[in-house]
Amino acid sequence: MNIHGSVVSAREIVLSTEGVAAGYGGDDIISNISVAVGKGSIFTVIGPNGSGKSTFIKVLAGLLPARTGEIRLGAMSIARLSAPQRVAAGLAYVPQEFNIFTNLTVGENLRVSTEFLERERRASAEQRERVLAIFPEVAGRLGLRAGYLSGGQRQMLAFACAMMAAPTVLLLDEPSAGLSPKFVAEIFDKVKSVNAMGVTVVMIEQNVKEALRIADIVLVLVNGATRLLATPDDILTKHDLHKLYLG
Amino acid sequence: MTAQVILNGLVTGMVVALPAVALTLIYGILKFPNFAIGAMLTVGAYLALALNVYLSLPVLYAAAIGAAAFAVVAVGIDQAVFRPLRERSAITLLVASMGVSFVLENIVRFIFGNGARSFELPLARPKLVFGLRINNEQIFTAVAVIAAMTAVYVVLRHTPLGRAMRAVSDNPALAAARGIDRERIVRWTWVIAGLLTAAAGVLVGMDRAIDPLLGWNYIVTVFAASILGGLGNPVGAVLGALTVGVVEETSTLLIAPNYRQVVSFCAIALLLLLRPQGLLGVQRIKK
Ligand SMILES: Nc1ncnc2c1ncn2[C@@H]1O[C@H](COP(=O)(O)OP(=O)(O)OP(=O)(O)O)[C@@H](O)[C@H]1O
Ligand SMILES: [Mg+2]
Repeated sequence: MNIHGSVVSAREIVLSTEGVAAGYGGDDIISNISVAVGKGSIFTVIGPNGSGKSTFIKVLAGLLPARTGEIRLGAMSIARLSAPQRVAAGLAYVPQEFNIFTNLTVGENLRVSTEFLERERRASAEQRERVLAIFPEVAGRLGLRAGYLSGGQRQMLAFACAMMAAPTVLLLDEPSAGLSPKFVAEIFDKVKSVNAMGVTVVMIEQNVKEALRIADIVLVLVNGATRLLATPDDILTKHDLHKLYLG
Repeated sequence: MTAQVILNGLVTGMVVALPAVALTLIYGILKFPNFAIGAMLTVGAYLALALNVYLSLPVLYAAAIGAAAFAVVAVGIDQAVFRPLRERSAITLLVASMGVSFVLENIVRFIFGNGARSFELPLARPKLVFGLRINNEQIFTAVAVIAAMTAVYVVLRHTPLGRAMRAVSDNPALAAARGIDRERIVRWTWVIAGLLTAAAGVLVGMDRAIDPLLGWNYIVTVFAASILGGLGNPVGAVLGALTVGVVEETSTLLIAPNYRQVVSFCAIALLLLLRPQGLLGVQRIKK
């Protein structure tokens, strides 16, 4: 089984990593991660708790430096860019938690999401309208303090804030975590509609069933290492997730 | 009598509101209680005094120029003392601010001596309005404080700087990821704190004598006001200051004026026991 090359389709690559390793203190938490994300695809990362999924996406977003390896957005190396510079380059990120400003209003949250980027990267009025059209539940509460939103609404707001930067690649860290089934379905619908508009999505998901349904490629991360890189069909027909998760 | 006491208390509270807001803004951005807040009042008062007495500038101009100069000084103190300690604990920063307080007070003593001084102000009789004695300084204080608080409110609510300050105070990691330069916001916070404390120093100096302990006498009151409003909450700090002002002033009907700070001190203690998030504060709900 070839875990690296064969599953990458003929699509143009928008985001790729080569031999990325990272950690917080002593040892590397993730190591030797090499992936290639095709333009317009949904790339999903799954794996057991604590396997390093969030760590990997933080490295992509620029919140944690890669100790070794290369990260490219299109042809450009971004491994040395700061988080805001990566947003400006077209890579937006929604953290797993603490992803909105609870003391700012919903409207202010949207505004500050691009207000402090370089001038030409700030959201245009048209982009704002586009985002509000995708997220009517956000559009209807612009004056409300974000701390008063429900869990699902907060997730929608965080998602909408990331979209304000008109990203080419969107990084989502467990957007459906802790939400009721109704909101999980809604979040997945948003992911699909944003993807249909041409945005490439890299998403961590614990709802494996749902995730496999919309993913193009799945990375199974176990103990900070690539366990498998395959299409959802392959995973469902040729593999056993329980065995994969055991590492 | 009671109405007069409440009026005096409100005016005192207005003066206290300025450093209370400064304290709460610094707390929001840098997450430490700045003990030097009292000394900042003192230095602000002496800067204006120097311009007023030695350069014979009218108090208003002296205060404006002094406040602007002190804003620069405040940023300088931050860069020299607090910046190297940015990632340290709140306790470390609190202790550092005690050091700053001590140094500032002694610089003032060294330059101006220990004696009491006062601004050169034209004297005027208090006016009588509905039986209440209101003096010119009180009217000036009310106008100045309302103008300053309105300005701070507008900056916080309606400008990019204000949004950035609130964002950094709320969630520094997310603010950084959004491209907000925390150090820039920190510098502006010290500018605002410098302007507010210097203005408060002048208002206190107009009301009483100027001496090296001018600000020291207000520390407990200012902390009580900010804590009452929920540290980090500027609107709360203003309401806290007005409350503390009225309560302290009213207490002088019952106990010797020298003990008025005891009232604030008890208020802090009670509040920390019963409602640590402040009177207005909602417990911060986070995902
Ligand atoms: N800020 C941090 N400092 C130190 N260690 C951390 C930090 N964040 C995560 N870790 C550790 O890194 C490892 C991987 O954590 P990570 O959050 O990447 O896992 P995850 O796959 O996203 O898990 P989950 O499914 O629970 O979100 C864990 O052992 C965790 O304890
Ligand atoms: Mg995670």
